[in-house]
Amino acid sequence: MIDDETLDRQLRDAAPYIDDDGFTARVIANLPVAQRESRWLRAMILLGLAILGSGIAYVLSGGFIRDGVIQLSNFPIWLLLVFAFGCGLVVGAFAVIFAIRKTPEVRDLTRLEF
Amino acid sequence: MELTDADLIARVLANDDQHAFGELVRRHQSSVRGLLRQLTRTDVSLADDLAQEAFIRAYKNIRSFRGEARFSTWLYRIAYNCFRENARKRKELVGVDEEQLQAEHDPQTVDPGLRHDLMHALNLLPLHERTAVVLCCQNGLSHDEAARVLDIPLGTVKTNVLRGREKLKRTLAAWGPN
Repeated sequence: MIDDETLDRQLRDAAPYIDDDGFTARVIANLPVAQRESRWLRAMILLGLAILGSGIAYVLSGGFIRDGVIQLSNFPIWLLLVFAFGCGLVVGAFAVIFAIRKTPEVRDLTRLEF
Repeated sequence: MELTDADLIARVLANDDQHAFGELVRRHQSSVRGLLRQLTRTDVSLADDLAQEAFIRAYKNIRSFRGEARFSTWLYRIAYNCFRENARKRKELVGVDEEQLQAEHDPQTVDPGLRHDLMHALNLLPLHERTAVVLCCQNGLSHDEAARVLDIPLGTVKTNVLRGREKLKRTLAAWGPN
């Protein structure tokens, strides 16, 4: 009886290389149009909506936001700097985590599980 | 220097580079089409249609490829899913009458030569055993990789490969050393 090794070798030999014969060209011709433009469009829409939402919130809040900004100006400058730096750190940390999750090479390199 | 699969995937991800994806298709088309030809019992036309669908699906979902497995393993999984969906539509999945199929294959009509006998014997295996044998013995996937492709337990893959191998060896006993 044929042994496992011979059988596996015969199976591999029995599956010859299949010539491309225009297959790749057919696949490429049927690929969806690159989505780069639509991603830009989506980003612009999100940015526009964020600006619009902020404007509406400012108008509807009456003097609340303006008064808040005026009150902030009374704070010592070092406190405002610390506050801004803290906000930057938090946002930056989330951005780094998001970037690592989206980049397999970096994720594998850091061996982090998210 | 030839680019690796990972380099090409990175280009597709960064720039939607269809030329890079074309190179990936060129590299893997033979094995994916070969697998599907085995699954569809050498229905070349159907196998190529499914392979095309699999590659297009891979392009659309390439962002979900996390690099945890080989790119070819990921492609096999997509190709196998395409085959399953198609088979389900055609009501051929697993429920196919294996005895009837065996009856359709008249051993007297098989051409001489081990290769022909082997392919014939392979086609007579039930779908789950044939798929496991093709993935592990023919395409060189580990049992673990095949389990991921087929989405079945590792033990089931091992059993299917073992049973498939034994049946092939019994069928091809005449070719062994005396």
